[in-house]
Amino acid sequence: MKSKSISLVLGIILAFSMVGCGQKAATESTEAQSQAEDTQKVESQTGSADSTVETADDAESINVYIGGSIFDSSMDPVKGFMSYGYPFVNEALIQADTNSEYVADLATDWEVSEDALTYTFNLREGVTFSDGTPFTAEDVVFTYEEVQKNQANNENVDLTKLKSVEADGDYKVVFTLNECYSPFLDTVAMLQIVPSDSYNSETFDTAPIGTGAYKVAQYDTNQQIILQINESYWGGTPDIEQVNIISMDQDTAYSNAVSGQLDVVMVGSTYINETIDSMTLHKLETMDVRNVSLPTLTEQVMKDSQGNEYNVGNNVTSDIAVRKALSIGINRQEIIDNAFNGEGKPAVNFTDNLPWASTDDYEDNQVDEAKKILEDAGWTDADGDGIREKGDLKCSFDLIAPGNDEDRYKLATALAENAKNLGIEINVRNESWDVAVVEENTTPIVWGWGQFSPTVIYSTYDSEMFLEAQYANVTGYTNADCDAAIEKAFAASNQADANAAWKEAQAIGDSEYPYLYLVNIEHSYFVKDNLDISESTQIPHPHGHGSPIICNLKDWVLN
Amino acid sequence: MRNTSLWNRRTRLTLLIVLAATYLLGVFFWGLFIDPSEYGVHYENKLLAPSAQHLFGTDAMGRDMFKRCIKGLSNSLVIGLLASLVSSVVALVMGIASAVFGGFVDRFVNLCVDLCMGLPHLVLLILISCMAGRGTVGVTVAVALTHWPSLTRIVRQEVLQLRNTQYVLASRKMGKSYLTIALTHMVPHVLPAYLIGLILLFPHAIMHEASVTFLGFGLPKEMPAIGVILAESMNHITTGKWWMALFPGLMLLLAVVLFDLIGETLKKLWNPNSGNE
Repeated sequence: MKSKSISLVLGIILAFSMVGCGQKAATESTEAQSQAEDTQKVESQTGSADSTVETADDAESINVYIGGSIFDSSMDPVKGFMSYGYPFVNEALIQADTNSEYVADLATDWEVSEDALTYTFNLREGVTFSDGTPFTAEDVVFTYEEVQKNQANNENVDLTKLKSVEADGDYKVVFTLNECYSPFLDTVAMLQIVPSDSYNSETFDTAPIGTGAYKVAQYDTNQQIILQINESYWGGTPDIEQVNIISMDQDTAYSNAVSGQLDVVMVGSTYINETIDSMTLHKLETMDVRNVSLPTLTEQVMKDSQGNEYNVGNNVTSDIAVRKALSIGINRQEIIDNAFNGEGKPAVNFTDNLPWASTDDYEDNQVDEAKKILEDAGWTDADGDGIREKGDLKCSFDLIAPGNDEDRYKLATALAENAKNLGIEINVRNESWDVAVVEENTTPIVWGWGQFSPTVIYSTYDSEMFLEAQYANVTGYTNADCDAAIEKAFAASNQADANAAWKEAQAIGDSEYPYLYLVNIEHSYFVKDNLDISESTQIPHPHGHGSPIICNLKDWVLN
Repeated sequence: MRNTSLWNRRTRLTLLIVLAATYLLGVFFWGLFIDPSEYGVHYENKLLAPSAQHLFGTDAMGRDMFKRCIKGLSNSLVIGLLASLVSSVVALVMGIASAVFGGFVDRFVNLCVDLCMGLPHLVLLILISCMAGRGTVGVTVAVALTHWPSLTRIVRQEVLQLRNTQYVLASRKMGKSYLTIALTHMVPHVLPAYLIGLILLFPHAIMHEASVTFLGFGLPKEMPAIGVILAESMNHITTGKWWMALFPGLMLLLAVVLFDLIGETLKKLWNPNSGNE
């Protein structure tokens, strides 16, 4: 008995000492581990800051932070780089001007045949690529055929409607279409020309050769892209010799700007009330809107054309009364003030700086009207909890703010707060994009749209797009008149008819409120006072998380 | 040596434990039953510095940081508790099985332990969290499934050494089953060491939950959590909103230190002779 208790005591002693050692060692190793991570993080941050310092010595170069999206994709135009319309290395045949109208770029002029099936472009003469080879019709034909051959690699520039592209001499190109396709000019503006002689689909990922004002001098993955003047540029020599596009975190970029190491820094709405010495805040116009998809179908299982089954619909948002009440009842300006410190403009449809976008406008903040619509539809707050219900169904739905986008999350939260006034409960969830796309047909999502091409109307309103592609008509909106108007727009033989038809399609679609438009965002940048970013030649910024400011890089002047 | 006072070291340590436990339990229950509107959005109170009304200030959406921290810490404690429970059960079962059965079972358990400990803990956490669908479920599963190895080793060592003691051999000879031996001889013996290990596991679980969340693989943005709060505050530190990072960080630190303190103090109390070893 005695020996047993002694051994027990000894055992316990041993146990304690062992627990002590084991746990201590474990604690230490975790601490060391987290410390190592910290230092690594600091190092990587100072690493990018160092590179800033290095290049800042040169007076003729500028350092810009324009967000990270430019580092996310290949720089090869054939794979869709800069197809949103602000290229700086390669150039397209035409480009959009500040009024969103197309003007000559590598082409001098163009004409469209009566039947709108043939597009003829006359090309600029005397243009050379940065490697010295001349730009001719052959390069245009090569580029378009290369994209057609590798259409799977390029989801942005869709050439399936293009039947053939032929050179007519060295400076004329003729495009023939399969069928009338009025947005073809948008497609032409999206695709920048690569040289037929030196194109290489691997090296062009980081070192494309183009005819633009700048060429890539150095590409450091996820660190920086160094641009230098293309000496042989046809449009005159830009003022700034070297532009370093730097990748870093937003907060690091901001503190680098404060310490004077950056000349341009893109900032989110968090920073717009701050001031930085010898820098001025510029708010630039965009065509980028944020809207919320409101599924129009009731909950059910549906099949796509391949026979795959999907859960679709949402029992609350499928009631048009809820969708309409939200659209007219919320106070967009208040939402913008709360979420974005007042940055951005209220929007009820696509932006007016696009020729095809609907200009219909309506008053929001009609709280009483919205409440009446809800009550007439049977949504009342019987139990007094501030949330309406109809039978057993609560007027409540989830809203996904997708991705790592702080601004969309803030916007969604501000919307949810505002919708409380109407007795509608919105539960905001932040999810990664892979979760969001799985739920895109059942759960409202905050979307961002901003592009020159009106094909976005087709992909967001046309019933035949439902379930057929990611992000496409996620609300399940189905209206034969709307489909017909879209078809008419595609088949139009001139831009005026096409734009009229696009507007008609939006008028039909918007009358059923499948999307809750909220805001036309603005892009904010702190710019050094001695740098002129030529605001008069800035195009309305397309979607691009801050990078479109470089659309007119060649016009920038460093004083 | 005279020590007649009630205020001796043992009492002081006990009191320390009681205070620490009260604080932690207080935060835990306050957070558990707090009304969500207390840390709700109030746009009229954006980015206020700490004051009597808002002890820890407010964030960019006007949410009271103090209440958010309480709720966040409470959420962390819930996850820590779940993780500790799961880890401890796994450790107890595997540790005892490994020591008692030996042979293949022992080698298998050791392999599992080595496998888990061989991978950097944070990487393993992120992997499991992503596999389990991220979010609350993901991070809870990840934290619960990765904290058992060290405890398993302790239990296994303890039992291994017990296995060859006289009284265990004797009961074996008397025809007692493995289960009876495990329950009557092994468990009571291993229990104190095991309990302390369990308490010391808490700070790890909480820290790991916060780090994984901070990195964006854990609790979702809409849920109050120290990791989320710290990640959000990153954007505000550069503009001088120091309170958004400082106080939540201190709260987390305090919780971790207190758990460690309880564990270490219990060790001293249960084993006063450790100084003589």
